[in-house]
Amino acid sequence: MKQKLKAAATGTLKSLRMIAPMLLAIIGLIGLFKTYITPEMLRALFNGAALHDMLVGVGFGGISVGQPFLSYIIGGELLKEGASFYGVTAFILAFVTLGVVQLPMEFSIFGFRFALVRNLLSLLFSFVLAFLIAFCVRIFT
Amino acid sequence: MKKNRSGLVMLGIVALLYLVLGILHPDKTVAALWTSLGVLKMIIPILLLVFFLMALLNVYIDEEAISRHMGEESGLKGWFLALFGGILSHGPGYVWYPLLQNLREQGAKDGLIVAFIYARAIKIPWIPLMITYFGWTFTLVYTFWVVAGAWVQGIVAQRLLRK
Repeated sequence: MKQKLKAAATGTLKSLRMIAPMLLAIIGLIGLFKTYITPEMLRALFNGAALHDMLVGVGFGGISVGQPFLSYIIGGELLKEGASFYGVTAFILAFVTLGVVQLPMEFSIFGFRFALVRNLLSLLFSFVLAFLIAFCVRIFT
Repeated sequence: MKKNRSGLVMLGIVALLYLVLGILHPDKTVAALWTSLGVLKMIIPILLLVFFLMALLNVYIDEEAISRHMGEESGLKGWFLALFGGILSHGPGYVWYPLLQNLREQGAKDGLIVAFIYARAIKIPWIPLMITYFGWTFTLVYTFWVVAGAWVQGIVAQRLLRK
């Protein structure tokens, strides 16, 4: 048991050491994105048309980073500013499920094929689910 | 986990980016650095938890158990575990990647990992805020479709990634 514990601790430390540089790089990038891409910049890009706002929403949701609650606050503000519900839903989904900034880390840990398939599917699902969610909300309210 | 140098290369690129931006916009870049330090401080406890879980997993759960609960034959139970694990997991997704890769290497199927990552779009601690901004109907519809989407995405990924 003791030997097993020791081996597990060594293995865990080894993986921590292995991901540390990539983790620090991603965190550094997150700081840059949070500082250089502001909610005001996002607001200027939505125009209220469903398809246009969905494209913009997915694009900017995918490159924005931060705590999920930020996407709700920005999304709420975007709605008030006249962005379409489809676009705001797409923005929130892309914000929490896609991460252009953390892509290099995903590729290096999971390997190229897995990371590519997962991200392409998530990109596609941001559109599909945004449409389904906004459509259902419209029916129910 | 495969050993590669991409982390070091990436860290070098980011450091260079900070250097260049630091010369062009010193104030903003210092603010970015502080933001990054804030993020680092926030994720350290979660990172410790993830690595603790990884160590526990390696000691108490063997490959056979993982392939039984999350492998090819895991069936509905596997999907259930992945979706609930994703919903309950806390903190940024990238913190969980090493643990998920560890599970993959021990026999967990790819579709379940994909479903886990997508189910993380549901953030239980932030649900009250979502209700405040968008209402109950939106929150319920969103939660339903994200869980359904994560499942379908897992199934599609499993087919595409089958070796």
